[in-house]
Amino acid sequence: MPEVEPTAAILDVATPSGSIEPTGDTELAVARTKRLGVIGWLAIIWLVLVALMAAVPSLFPVPELTERFPDSLRNRDFGPTSGHPLGFDTSGRDLLSKLVHGTRASMIVSVLAVSFGLVIGGTLGLIAGYFRGRVDTIITNAFNVGLAIPQLVLALTLAAVFASDANAGYGQRVLVVTFAIGFASIPILGRITRANTLTWANREFVLASKTIGAKTPRILIREVLPNVAPAMFSIALLGIAVAIVVEGGLALLGVGIPADITSPSWGNLIATGRSQMLLGEAGQVMAASTMVFFTVLSLNYLGDVVRARFDVRESAL
Amino acid sequence: MNNAIRKLGQLALVLFLVTLFTALLVSLLPGDPAEVIIPFGDERDREALREELNLDDPLPARYVAWLGDFVTGDFGNYYRQSITEPVGDRVGDAAPVSLQLMVYAQVLALLVAIPLGVITAQRAGGFLDKFANTTAFGVLAVPNFVLALVLSYFVGVELGWLPPQGYVRISRDLVEHLKSMALPAISLAAGQVAVYMRLLRTDMVATLQEDFILMAKAKGLSNKRVLWRHALRPSSLTLLTVAGLNVGTLVGGALIIEIIFTLPGMGTLIFQAISERQYVAIQSLVALIAIGYVLVNVAVDLLYSALDPRIRNARG
Amino acid sequence: MTSRTSTRRWLRLLALLLGLSMFAAACGDDDGGDEAAPDDSEQPDEGGTEDSTPEDVEGEPVPGGSLTYALEAETNGGFCLPEAQLAISGMQVAATIYDTLTKPDADGTLQPFLAESVEANEDSTQWTIKVREGVTFHDGTPLDAQVVANNIDAYRGAYPARTPLLFRFVFQDIESVQVVDPMTVQVNMVRPWSAFDWFLWGSNRVGIMAQAQLDDPENCGTNLVGTGPFKLDNWTVNEELVASKNPDYWRTDESGNKLPYLEQITYVPIPELASRSNALESGQVDALHTSDTEQIAQRLQPLSDSDDIKLLATDAYGEVNYLMLNSSVEPFNNKNARLALAHALDRQLLIDVRGGGIGQVAGGPFQEGVTGYLEDTGFPEYDLAKAEEFAAAYQEETGKPLSFAYTFVSTESGQLTAQEIQTQLADAGIDIQLDPAGDQATTINKALAGDFQAVGWRNHPGADPDTQYNWWAEGSPVNFGRISDPELQRLLDEGREAPLGEERDAIYEDLNRRFAEEVWNVWTSTTVWAIATKPNVQNILGYGPEGGSGPFPGLGTGHDVAGVWLSE
Repeated sequence: MPEVEPTAAILDVATPSGSIEPTGDTELAVARTKRLGVIGWLAIIWLVLVALMAAVPSLFPVPELTERFPDSLRNRDFGPTSGHPLGFDTSGRDLLSKLVHGTRASMIVSVLAVSFGLVIGGTLGLIAGYFRGRVDTIITNAFNVGLAIPQLVLALTLAAVFASDANAGYGQRVLVVTFAIGFASIPILGRITRANTLTWANREFVLASKTIGAKTPRILIREVLPNVAPAMFSIALLGIAVAIVVEGGLALLGVGIPADITSPSWGNLIATGRSQMLLGEAGQVMAASTMVFFTVLSLNYLGDVVRARFDVRESAL
Repeated sequence: MNNAIRKLGQLALVLFLVTLFTALLVSLLPGDPAEVIIPFGDERDREALREELNLDDPLPARYVAWLGDFVTGDFGNYYRQSITEPVGDRVGDAAPVSLQLMVYAQVLALLVAIPLGVITAQRAGGFLDKFANTTAFGVLAVPNFVLALVLSYFVGVELGWLPPQGYVRISRDLVEHLKSMALPAISLAAGQVAVYMRLLRTDMVATLQEDFILMAKAKGLSNKRVLWRHALRPSSLTLLTVAGLNVGTLVGGALIIEIIFTLPGMGTLIFQAISERQYVAIQSLVALIAIGYVLVNVAVDLLYSALDPRIRNARG
Repeated sequence: MTSRTSTRRWLRLLALLLGLSMFAAACGDDDGGDEAAPDDSEQPDEGGTEDSTPEDVEGEPVPGGSLTYALEAETNGGFCLPEAQLAISGMQVAATIYDTLTKPDADGTLQPFLAESVEANEDSTQWTIKVREGVTFHDGTPLDAQVVANNIDAYRGAYPARTPLLFRFVFQDIESVQVVDPMTVQVNMVRPWSAFDWFLWGSNRVGIMAQAQLDDPENCGTNLVGTGPFKLDNWTVNEELVASKNPDYWRTDESGNKLPYLEQITYVPIPELASRSNALESGQVDALHTSDTEQIAQRLQPLSDSDDIKLLATDAYGEVNYLMLNSSVEPFNNKNARLALAHALDRQLLIDVRGGGIGQVAGGPFQEGVTGYLEDTGFPEYDLAKAEEFAAAYQEETGKPLSFAYTFVSTESGQLTAQEIQTQLADAGIDIQLDPAGDQATTINKALAGDFQAVGWRNHPGADPDTQYNWWAEGSPVNFGRISDPELQRLLDEGREAPLGEERDAIYEDLNRRFAEEVWNVWTSTTVWAIATKPNVQNILGYGPEGGSGPFPGLGTGHDVAGVWLSE
């Protein structure tokens, strides 16, 4: 990744003091070039791979989840052997298989959660930023309320409350986790959308459309949204990264996706591998953490690239 | 002055809505809250609970009653089979632990991030800059609970340098206290270091281009002095704000970190309340955290306005 | 209306019972249904403390010093003993602060402890308890017949200041309690009760509390006053419980030195398994207990082999791990379903995968050494073909494929065990859905309410088999599995009333076989408990009751700490 000299590019992403959005990560732009670069391509390739694992795990030549390889149990030797590049878990099941099959649940939860947050938060943000005035005050205050509860605490609370139905099935529990994370992400996604809408809503071409009598929905969708979209996209990428981590956190706290053998997630692989790690069998935790790490890294990186490329300001007041 | 009043109004509104949300959490429980909270007791206990939580009253009356209790320190009870125990009894012991953890993490993060940020800003584009930036970017992709697990095992057990778990009160032994908080604070601070360092670097690179810095340099002040006195000061405000806003991230992180290191803080309380299905406790604990968080942000905001003349004037 | 209310009230009591019952630890934090038993040795253990270095006591006991002991859980409900629901961690603390009237010794023979003697009349309808002379409570008040009688009344729900839930059922066969003279209590029964003295030990739950605690309306659970070797200094929930030497303790060692040796003992709750081992290894604590065999096999045993710690691990007089089946609802109200499940589980594999290979397959609720124990109870063996056969028979009868929900304590270990069971049953074509229930108390509530099909459970620590009466009796609120079997009930009642001896032993052996035949529960493995300490901790189990053969080896019910001392 060629590093280009700072000044101009950096000013783009520099946050004007006094108007910082509370998104720790987004202040950090790695990409100071508008080109994707080698790392960018690697990130994309990785994400495509992850998407494939989530969508069609059968593409990957891994054993069934319930298949057991008793040889590994005999000597408690869970290391890699031929055909099992990552070795086994402590029950003698193929680790790579768990990892591949765990992708789907993690992806479904994080992508759906952020989509949910983006649709609701984005719409509210657009409306607030475009109309300003009283509407803006109401929506902004609603966002502030949401932001007043730390995201993990909010997600945790919602997951605990809605999963309290003792007879909730697997699907229902996944939905609850998704909803909890999604709901908790509304305020931050909405607030960023609003901030960006504010900067575009008074631009000449928008005002021009207004003067020639275009309808408001049309202006919002045709004129404002396309300009705000890169910012939304960039924050959505970061949001998915955060959601992946939150899913893991919820699993550790016991309110994540149920750890059924036929439907693992990266988060519950970490959560159910902790004691094994401390007993010297770190394979499962390390493998799942590595998936999380590269996926989050790729999403963060691409998020920054998008932002740099479209000259997005995290906040513009 | 007007501004202050408006701010206060906003604060009151946010507090109102947050408490309204949390106060009504138990209403969100699927089914009859009394049945869910007391799953095995008899009707008399449930009746008492309905009375106590005013479950039969209309929402506004319920909220007012809840608020009345809450501000007088009555955070409801744990409902267990043989005893009901006030939630407030636990909070007094737990809150200081969480606060300590967050303060230590924050201080540690700033202590590490500020020098790194300044040095990398000065040598922007240099090897150290690239290295620090890349590392920071990588650190951001490591979930803090993974870091905590790894540190607890390798540093705490394998190397035996620091306690891998447990908590020692300050009043007992200051040195042991700090040791017991070291790994949790590091786990929590790592991500913050990356955020603060990169933020400060970016901000300072911009500041260094400004006229008053050029002027200072022209006057012959040493680079060091320019960097640490003149350039850092305006950037520190940005840092302060972000540090304040990051409290939310810290709270969430602290929750998990506390559980991994068995620190008896608010996170442990919430975790226990969730696994015990103590919904009244969950509600009060979340309300307390949210209120604390709102107040910290207001404090940061006020401090910020007080410190930066530009803002004071611009907004006045 | 009233009947409904009173039913609920009973249920609630039961629940409490649970608590107590639960040894429940039932599904301990170390998980419901974990399979474990220690013994990394190949040969089946002979029911004794196999494994590990029992006490290399080095030299003469040295008084003084303080010990920090890591427990698997905090006792949130407090220590108002008649009302409390103590699991293992609570029993350990109770054994530190309180004494029980009786206590078993090394052979599992019951001895008088705080009582001078406990004796029955000819047909066991009247029991006479002689109270030990010269014993005082921590608050200076003397132990006498009146306070003992008040305690027994409190446990059975006949003392106005206390409202016991579980114990009310346990002691329901008591008709009256009388103070005969200042140091003698007489207990009259509604029917013959030959093992009543075992209930006075109650797995260390039935401690004798001072009058002040007994009458305390507000702080009975936190204001601990007993006659035990240590007295409470302070208790910060979730953090530590500190107790210091009781200088006036009534027991002495063989040479006449006053017990206890230690100046202070501090209990810290560390629920996280690995953290607990970490704490010992890094020297933060001096001792810990655990029932997680994987932890014992992979972590503690190697440390013990290298002499970094001392390890005492045994399943002697331990509990049994099992899948408790709800026989009042589908599918396990059908015997074919129960048989299919029993044949489908490879219990040795379960022990190997989830129990670190230590522990033994259990065929019944009683451990070796306990009355009623049988080497072969006739419990169904692992046999996939038969499993499929019975599953098919079930489907034929009901028109539905065999499928059920498995409820468990949602700890990491509980989840792994559930996954292992799921994997095994998949081979037999039996479908199970995992139902993580929350913590132990929540799981017990579900069981109490009958809101389960199968649940991972642990119970029935070694003692006289009559102490298990309430778990299986028809209509008992803590008969969680809703077992309704006239034959079983007959055996339970006969066993309660029969005089001790071979005939009574045979009754409980029949009961054991009956369980296996009907598969009311799927027994999996013996529970192994371990106590690991720093090398300088000596005589961890103490001396046992006076006149007995030594300390009781069962570790699942807490142990005496009066004889512990520190060398170096």
